[in-house]
Amino acid sequence: MSVDTGGHVSLEEAKLLVEYLETGQQEKADELIEEIQNPINSELFAEIGKLTRQLHDSLNNFQLDSRLNDLATADIPDAQERLNYVITRTEEAANKTMDAVESIFPVVDTIQKQIKAVNPLWQKLMHNKLDLPEFKSLCIDIDILLKTTDKESVRMHDLMTDVLMAQDFQDLTGQVIRKVIDLVREVEDSLIGMLTAFGLSSEGSSEPSKPKVGDNLVEGPIVNATQRDDVVADQDDVDDLLSSLGF
Amino acid sequence: MFSPESALDKNMKVLVVDDFSTMRRIVKNLLRDLGFTNISEADDGSTALPMLKEGSFDFVVTDWNMPGMQGIDLLKAIRADANLSHIPVLLITAEAKKEQIVMAAQAGVNGYIVKPFTAATLNAKLDKIFERLG
Repeated sequence: MSVDTGGHVSLEEAKLLVEYLETGQQEKADELIEEIQNPINSELFAEIGKLTRQLHDSLNNFQLDSRLNDLATADIPDAQERLNYVITRTEEAANKTMDAVESIFPVVDTIQKQIKAVNPLWQKLMHNKLDLPEFKSLCIDIDILLKTTDKESVRMHDLMTDVLMAQDFQDLTGQVIRKVIDLVREVEDSLIGMLTAFGLSSEGSSEPSKPKVGDNLVEGPIVNATQRDDVVADQDDVDDLLSSLGF
Repeated sequence: MFSPESALDKNMKVLVVDDFSTMRRIVKNLLRDLGFTNISEADDGSTALPMLKEGSFDFVVTDWNMPGMQGIDLLKAIRADANLSHIPVLLITAEAKKEQIVMAAQAGVNGYIVKPFTAATLNAKLDKIFERLG
């Protein structure tokens, strides 16, 4: 290919042309003449070739990003379902735990009451100040206490096993959340890939984004309190702030 | 964690406002453990406000971030209503921006507990609130 600029014939080209003519290669001679006259054409062809390759690559990228289509139509709705599952499971676990605890509270209260009832006579016995009728009464109370404790401790044991088992949500929800995190990462990569295919840089917006807040600055739980100076770290911080306001 | 010596009237009517039923249940259990028996529930400010206007509530425990009417707006509405303005309001919330705590203080909150919290914190704040009110 000629790298000549602007249609001037070089000595090499002239010699080559004479050689073609002398050896009767008319076609080649004509081609050379044309090339000398229109050097721009070959550059144009090179440029078109480059663009075609780019277009081809971009289309290939788009085919890769059909994954993006899957993400939008299948994976993200699926992720919503997964996260709803997390809400359901954690709520169930909280309620199961509270069911058990609420059943345990009155049992403990009953045992505590019976112990309080037994205690005065028991102290008398310990100090050898108990008379016979009191002793009989104490025996009856202790009998009740022993029976209650025996029966209810079995029940409490079962209820505490319920509390234990209610914690199995952590494993399941942990796995589900991890999958959603992977999905979010994949969406992010695909979007960056698309920006790159369109020649837009994903750099430059790398400064940490401000958290989105709603009315009255609501933001929900702060997950990075230690990295922020606009939030309190704990209840002591709240109390200090309020007392500095004269609370 | 009991505070039996407190001169608190344990029969006082308490309204617990939170959009999560589990959190309402936790707060109710803690209050019951402290001896409160007369506890009602609402799931956001716009449900709570009519209840407050109708019933003679003595104390409000509310979350901040709820759909519908937020806790801070409920607090402002209570303070703006001559019939309700005397009711002490305790915020229990995950909202932790200093600006918001100042906002709540200026709106006339009686106590501010940041989630996650403990039973001991709730007990201490209740004592403080009612000690102040005499």
